[in-house]
Amino acid sequence: MLQILASRGDLVLLRDSVEWEGRSLLKALIREVALKGEQVQVLGCEVSEEVFREGLDSDTNSRLVYHDVFRDPQGWTGNWGPLGILRACLRGAEPGPCTLAVDSLSWLLLHAPCSALCQTLRALGHDNSHPGRVRVLGLLHEDVHGPGPLGALRSLAQIEVTVGGNLGFTTAQVFHPKPRHRSIEQTYWFSILPNFSLEFHKETLLEPRPHRGPQSPTVDAMADLTFNVHLSKKEREARDTLALPFHFSSEKQQSLLHPALASSTSQIFYEPDADDYLDQEDPDDDLDI
Amino acid sequence: MESQQGEGGTELDSQSSIWVNTGGNKMAALTTGFGRARQGGAGDPREYKAETAAGGDKLGGGGGGGDRGCSFLRKVSVPGSGGGGGGGGGARLRSIAGTRPSVQNGQLLVSAGLPALDQLLGGGLAVGTLLLIEEDKYNIYSSLIFKYFLAEGIVCGHTLLVASAKEDPGDILQELPEPLHDDNYKKVLDEGRSHKSQEEPEISMKIAWRYQNLPQMEAGPGTSSRFGHYYDVSKRMSQEVIQSAKWHKFFLPEEITSYANVESCALNHGYTKLLHFIQRVISEQGFDGSNPQKKQKNILRIGIQSLGSPLWGDDICCADTPEHMHSLTRFLYVLRGLLRMSLSACIITVPSHLIQNKAVTSRIRNLSDTVVGLESFIGSEKEANSLYKDYHGLIHIHQIPRLNSLICDVSDTKDLAFKLQRKVFTIEEIKTSNSQSPIFSHGYHIALCSLCGPLNKFIKRIFVF
Repeated sequence: MLQILASRGDLVLLRDSVEWEGRSLLKALIREVALKGEQVQVLGCEVSEEVFREGLDSDTNSRLVYHDVFRDPQGWTGNWGPLGILRACLRGAEPGPCTLAVDSLSWLLLHAPCSALCQTLRALGHDNSHPGRVRVLGLLHEDVHGPGPLGALRSLAQIEVTVGGNLGFTTAQVFHPKPRHRSIEQTYWFSILPNFSLEFHKETLLEPRPHRGPQSPTVDAMADLTFNVHLSKKEREARDTLALPFHFSSEKQQSLLHPALASSTSQIFYEPDADDYLDQEDPDDDLDI
Repeated sequence: MESQQGEGGTELDSQSSIWVNTGGNKMAALTTGFGRARQGGAGDPREYKAETAAGGDKLGGGGGGGDRGCSFLRKVSVPGSGGGGGGGGGARLRSIAGTRPSVQNGQLLVSAGLPALDQLLGGGLAVGTLLLIEEDKYNIYSSLIFKYFLAEGIVCGHTLLVASAKEDPGDILQELPEPLHDDNYKKVLDEGRSHKSQEEPEISMKIAWRYQNLPQMEAGPGTSSRFGHYYDVSKRMSQEVIQSAKWHKFFLPEEITSYANVESCALNHGYTKLLHFIQRVISEQGFDGSNPQKKQKNILRIGIQSLGSPLWGDDICCADTPEHMHSLTRFLYVLRGLLRMSLSACIITVPSHLIQNKAVTSRIRNLSDTVVGLESFIGSEKEANSLYKDYHGLIHIHQIPRLNSLICDVSDTKDLAFKLQRKVFTIEEIKTSNSQSPIFSHGYHIALCSLCGPLNKFIKRIFVF
């Protein structure tokens, strides 16, 4: 799972919901990144710093640079609003690959206009001091927002991870759209241990599945028709041997040239009427053939 | 009828109906009314005593003859061009590279970069109009069409103006596809078709056998004049070609440095800046005819990417009840005014799948001239449908403009799908394996075109003339 998150310059959206929370997955990912020796900038808006750092070991905690908005959500002590702090997160960071975890984008969406947030996120991902090496992990509570802001953030994100849960295990559906049917969609089953390490389970069958809902059977457009579209072999042969009406085949030519003999059914009986004028002279007799 | 031929001219007697000038130029004209015209060869002073039936018909062209009384002659205004009665756009506009007059209504057309798309839009994109692409869900294929448009501009030598809020326009230009030459295109297309032909054998037709060899959707190179070009998507355009192109860039994060909410009541700040930029480029470079000494006229191709998305500072995509709902529509209105008065063509991609308010979507469509919508199958349940298994998405032509005519050339089939192969992007009609409907639709299409052509001209003469 983590090799997908290894790409840089991306916005990774972690979508959770009321049924299954995603902050523990976010902390687990932060721990994985910190174990590689990188510094992680965290913007914490929803929970306090102590609660966030709880459960993470000291190595990870030493590499976390925490920017606290929870203590002062309205920004009364400083001059910056929440977006200002978001922009300032990377200013003190050391040069090199950098990861920024936003505790939640939902909180920012509720406190700042969506378009400004999108512009800020885009500017962060393409920061000049860290060209192409900033990765933003954003936590988003999808049932808080309407389809508008959700769609806007999803179109901005390169990778979407939907967190769910089943039977005591956490599932994460990772979706990375790419052209030509090459989108990456994988589901991972794991459980998060108390020290926020991830334990993957053997049910991690990396089969690509349709992203939406259970797999529906392929729709056959030719089924359930009230007429017969297919031809059986005999019918096909009969169709091939059918003589088309405007084809002047040799049989037709023969039948026209030599009228059938035993045609008792096709004689014409003519009884002249009193008004009919039968001219015995044939005008063609004058022709000289 | 008496006719007397000079070295290059004729003398026409009154009450004559048809004369043929077989001197230096060969031209036949149908004349009505009375008139007498005498012309010498080129260079002689012309004198005529003619009574014109329709006033105001002027003759131009050295040696180009025509009777004064004829009201069906086209106006030729450039002396010495020798092409009297040429295409409807006028002889001088025809000399712009990469354009051609439309066969339906005489408008000047530029290619959109994809010959199949040109065919669906009625020959091409008319100069002075706006092409709106409604993006697919992850903006993969619409950005490809955007790049085709820009690549076509570079190959034809047009000037480009690229505006974006997401990617740097320089990066967009680096990703343009490479143009293909004629013989390469046939190979590339055959590669793509060979996969398909192994699955279904070609059914030879017994009844409609004359239609068997009709081209499916796009004409191959060499069948018509050099209007559209073909591109290889798997390769990038070479650096020399890109650098030789003339282009202007507008990148929103560089233009707007402060994030303060400075918005005029009418238009979004970003949109206002973009409109100023476009207007400045048009007037300084002379695309609106303001520099009459400009020796060579050229077309300006404007490309604006993801207009209306939150990155432009607009909230119609994010909010259900946007605060400035009319910002984008006002922008389009002003932009269309700028386009109409200059020699330019514009492509805009809009993420309309994000717009929640359907009234805004239909307003945006009404304000554009040509509207093409893309719907990709990525992540949707249509991916599993057996009807669509060969394709990557559907393409919907929502609107085609009716420029100077009452009818537009709408394609008769509505089931169009696209497919991105390794090297080419193709647009096809959806075919089930058993049906022969594409052939019939072609037959109807031909019949309809042949009917609409003369009818079109007839209506144009009566109402618009």
